[in-house]
Amino acid sequence: MTTVPELDPVIHAQARLRVVASLAALSQGDRMAFPRVQQLLDMTAGNLSTHLRKLEDAGYVEVTKTHERRTPVTYLALTRRGRTAFEDYAAALRTLLTTDGSETAR
Amino acid sequence: MTERLDGGDLSPAESLALIEQQQGRVERTLGPNIVLLYGTWGAAWFLGFAMLYLAYRGALPLVVGGLVFAGLLLAAIVVTGVHSARATRGVRGVSSEVGAMYGWGWLLGFGCVGAIFAGLGRVGITDEQSALLGPALSLLVVGLLYLGGGALWRDRVQYGLGVWILATDAVSMFAGVPGNYLVLSIAGGGGFLLAAAWFAVRRRVVAP
Repeated sequence: MTTVPELDPVIHAQARLRVVASLAALSQGDRMAFPRVQQLLDMTAGNLSTHLRKLEDAGYVEVTKTHERRTPVTYLALTRRGRTAFEDYAAALRTLLTTDGSETAR
Repeated sequence: MTERLDGGDLSPAESLALIEQQQGRVERTLGPNIVLLYGTWGAAWFLGFAMLYLAYRGALPLVVGGLVFAGLLLAAIVVTGVHSARATRGVRGVSSEVGAMYGWGWLLGFGCVGAIFAGLGRVGITDEQSALLGPALSLLVVGLLYLGGGALWRDRVQYGLGVWILATDAVSMFAGVPGNYLVLSIAGGGGFLLAAAWFAVRRRVVAP
């Protein structure tokens, strides 16, 4: 009876889960500048870049490079696919919680 | 049976807590500080309209009352502008477009109030009439924009404040001059201060 849902390996790593969760907290159609995301995650730029590459490769995060007042700015946003993947992941976690008797919600 | 997540070291409960914590941080950082904003506007209205009331009652020169009132409102505008710009720094897209459109609504509304007064000045208006109409028209703009903002962001407190502001505005018209300023100070400013206090208490209760 009890089926253990498959957990998406791309956002399974704790750091990437935090990146995706942060971007999912934005309104749909919004994007956030790289330094702001970095500050909200307390990550180094290098560390964040590494995780972003994996998320971008999976088609979950869209990275836009642009210029504002001649300064280069990088914006990050969750793609539709990334948002769906995050919602599925959270749903899978909740299923695991309810199907596994030894776990209790928070 | 405790399912350990393959490859990870977090339990589902810990992962869900992590998601909640991270999203809460983003929302708190990007969202407006309601206590600061309502507190600022409440203080500006409460003190500003009280100064105008006292000035009309002869307790202090009218120029002083007017200048203090203008200074308080200007300070509140600066606090609001700086706070919103800092909170939403680095975020672009739909929400910044919505925010800009809404922000322009204030400028256009008050621009129109200014034009109405310029037009009334040309045909002639008494001091008493302008002392009643000035705040009445301004609060009509404020009240309607609060209704609009509340509907836009589905914020019941903001919508409720809009209703309260319009009701205060309507009542103040029947208090005459300078009674209208006393109504706007106590009910108008007081309404904002009560809303700020309510959010401050709730935040303390919700926070761990």
